[in-house]
Amino acid sequence: MTYPSVYPTGVTIYNPAKCWNGYTIFQANELGALLIDMNGREVQLWKGLHGFPNKLLPGGHVMGSLGQRNTAYGMQDQIDLVQVDWEGKVVWKFNRYEYIEDPGETPQWMARQHHDYQREGNPVGYYVPGMDPLVDRGNTLILVHKNIKNPGISEKMLLDDTIIEVTWDGEIVWEWTCSDHINEYGFSEPAKNILARDPNFRPAGGGMGDWMHINSMSALGPNKWYDAGDQRFHPDNIIWDGRETNIIAITDKKTGEIVWKLGPDYDTSRELKRMGWIIGQHHAHLIPRGLPGEGNILVFDNGGWAGYGSPNPGSPTGIKSALRDYSRVLEIDPVTLKIIWQYTPAEAGYVMPYDSNRFYSPFISSAQRLPNGNTLITEGSGGRIIEVTARHELVWEYISPYWGQHLNLNMVYRSYRAPYNWVPQLDRPEEVPIERIDVKTFRVPGAALPGRMKETVVKGTLPYAGGDNALCVGQTEE
Amino acid sequence: MSMTLFTSTGCLRCKIVKRFMEERGLAYEEKDIKADGREAFQKFYTANRKSVYRGPEGIEFPVFFDGVEIRQGLGAVIAYLHSGKKLDGLVSVGTLHKEWVDGLHVSGGDPAHAQEFLSVLRYLKGNNMKLRVDTNGKNSHILRQVFDEGLASQVVMDVVGPINLYGLILGETVDAHDIKESIALIPRFSEYRFETTVAPLIDQLGKVRYMTPREVAEAARLIEESTGSKKHPYLILSFRPEKAADPLFKALMPITPQELLAYRTAAREYLVFADIEK
Repeated sequence: MTYPSVYPTGVTIYNPAKCWNGYTIFQANELGALLIDMNGREVQLWKGLHGFPNKLLPGGHVMGSLGQRNTAYGMQDQIDLVQVDWEGKVVWKFNRYEYIEDPGETPQWMARQHHDYQREGNPVGYYVPGMDPLVDRGNTLILVHKNIKNPGISEKMLLDDTIIEVTWDGEIVWEWTCSDHINEYGFSEPAKNILARDPNFRPAGGGMGDWMHINSMSALGPNKWYDAGDQRFHPDNIIWDGRETNIIAITDKKTGEIVWKLGPDYDTSRELKRMGWIIGQHHAHLIPRGLPGEGNILVFDNGGWAGYGSPNPGSPTGIKSALRDYSRVLEIDPVTLKIIWQYTPAEAGYVMPYDSNRFYSPFISSAQRLPNGNTLITEGSGGRIIEVTARHELVWEYISPYWGQHLNLNMVYRSYRAPYNWVPQLDRPEEVPIERIDVKTFRVPGAALPGRMKETVVKGTLPYAGGDNALCVGQTEE
Repeated sequence: MSMTLFTSTGCLRCKIVKRFMEERGLAYEEKDIKADGREAFQKFYTANRKSVYRGPEGIEFPVFFDGVEIRQGLGAVIAYLHSGKKLDGLVSVGTLHKEWVDGLHVSGGDPAHAQEFLSVLRYLKGNNMKLRVDTNGKNSHILRQVFDEGLASQVVMDVVGPINLYGLILGETVDAHDIKESIALIPRFSEYRFETTVAPLIDQLGKVRYMTPREVAEAARLIEESTGSKKHPYLILSFRPEKAADPLFKALMPITPQELLAYRTAAREYLVFADIEK
């Protein structure tokens, strides 16, 4: 990736007429939950409030966690999940999933929450007309971790993903464990082989295999498929995706069974081949009823490295066997498996494949469908949040200025856009357009201005050849 | 009375039983089911199918037959050869494999035969077997001796319910002090676990119901109070109506895994490591 060493942060592009204007919430790296307006004004910082992710609720409340488990013993475990009001008061908290006694640490109950959660009233955790999340009651679906042994997967200790539903009073009333369904995921023999030998082993806690790594979990909510009689899409069913396996799946809430899935392999049918290999994906969810594209699956298909399969030159052992050095945002019809809409380096205006990696986040990231048909995309690894129209026009861009002290990245795990009226404490902010700077002529202070001091014509030269035949590498389809 | 021992080639447990019989001069006929005893065993099995336990991994060997009684598995055969039917209830066919022997029930039989029971445990342990002993709390004096002699490698205690329901669930009078003594002793074993099965009850109105989450929590509290600690491995199990002897219980709907969650939440108030069976 060709990152310049100097570039602006904050909002760099803003077209108010084409944006779905509102506030944007995200976890500013190692700082807290940050709420910005369309011009990038930081209207509220819940300082120190962790968020994996942060989500805004109506009334100016925010969800997140009070801290993370010592990473020597836990892998991305948040100690709790909390709801905090505008003034920072904790109004709801859940932590009683597992009692943890880490060496040298105070024993305590922990939620072990990671990557996602959903409050009742809204299936996906972002704004949907008529589906506000509840703020003073209701159940919460939470994605949590549990350490298990399952010789059917590997003899090694496994970091498993479980989904729980807890009441407002903190009682767990439903639980689903990912590894219980190992035989439903359709792993090939080579995949099972490497999964057994190396289930994505991570060093925390003496070592554990983060074998599935679910990074997104949401309810389907009301949808046209279920209305038409397709029971796989029952509104209570849960869609999730596993980064390490390239799987996107729907779990039946009643039976726990996997009733729909994409992956782990994408070469087993014509439809899947046409879709292309989804790799290391994040934030797969069903676009809720009431938003453009409702009923389709929206996913940030990271690319990067993920999956279990046969050894190959890019993966000598078969772990992280699929590779791609650019990202895609896909909107997929879950029945025909056709791509309905996409935002890839091509739609971003980059010449593929030569410049593809300029739209690339090999980890984290997300996509939110907005009520006007735009899509808010978090290209997370570089801390870039953009809003694009259905016709792929870039109408808002923000670069996070927050690099971490512990981790020198300005990464943004996930961001959400919320309507102004979800924050009644604030007056509607001024919306000031920001024209796109022409980088061909933009110079920093001290740099020479554009233009040549002397220009000399050399007789006998030919015109420059066009097209990509002149390049050292060709397109893969050639 | 002629004794027949059905064995399997290479079966370590069979060798231990054979050695036991030879040490005591007990004459027997061996039939190896993987050699020339195959046909004989098939005939025996056909005639005694209901008396031979077949687990998920097949039939446990050795199988012993003296023309009247059938005993199966290392522990049960040794117990029968040692003391006849006196140890029935204290020892039964086990389900564990390799070096492990289970089916050893401290609370399951007549405590008057404690010394014979302990003698069998000593013999098994003396043959390098690891013993998993279980108890429901009755006969704490036997459990104490098992502990003092280091006979058990693992112990599992079924805390059947809160102390006020113990007798009702077991269908007999129990000594609360005896139960608490056992509970207090359990954590002193190097490997142990407490369990409670969400059992059905017939209440004072004659109505059949399952124990409530609150009642299981009280069982957890009994463990906490008897041991002075909230930190014990504790597993909550669902009752299997299809295996019940009482027709009233057989007709019950099983508790679902999701329903068990409320029991876990309640029990964790007293035992923080409480979990539910898969």
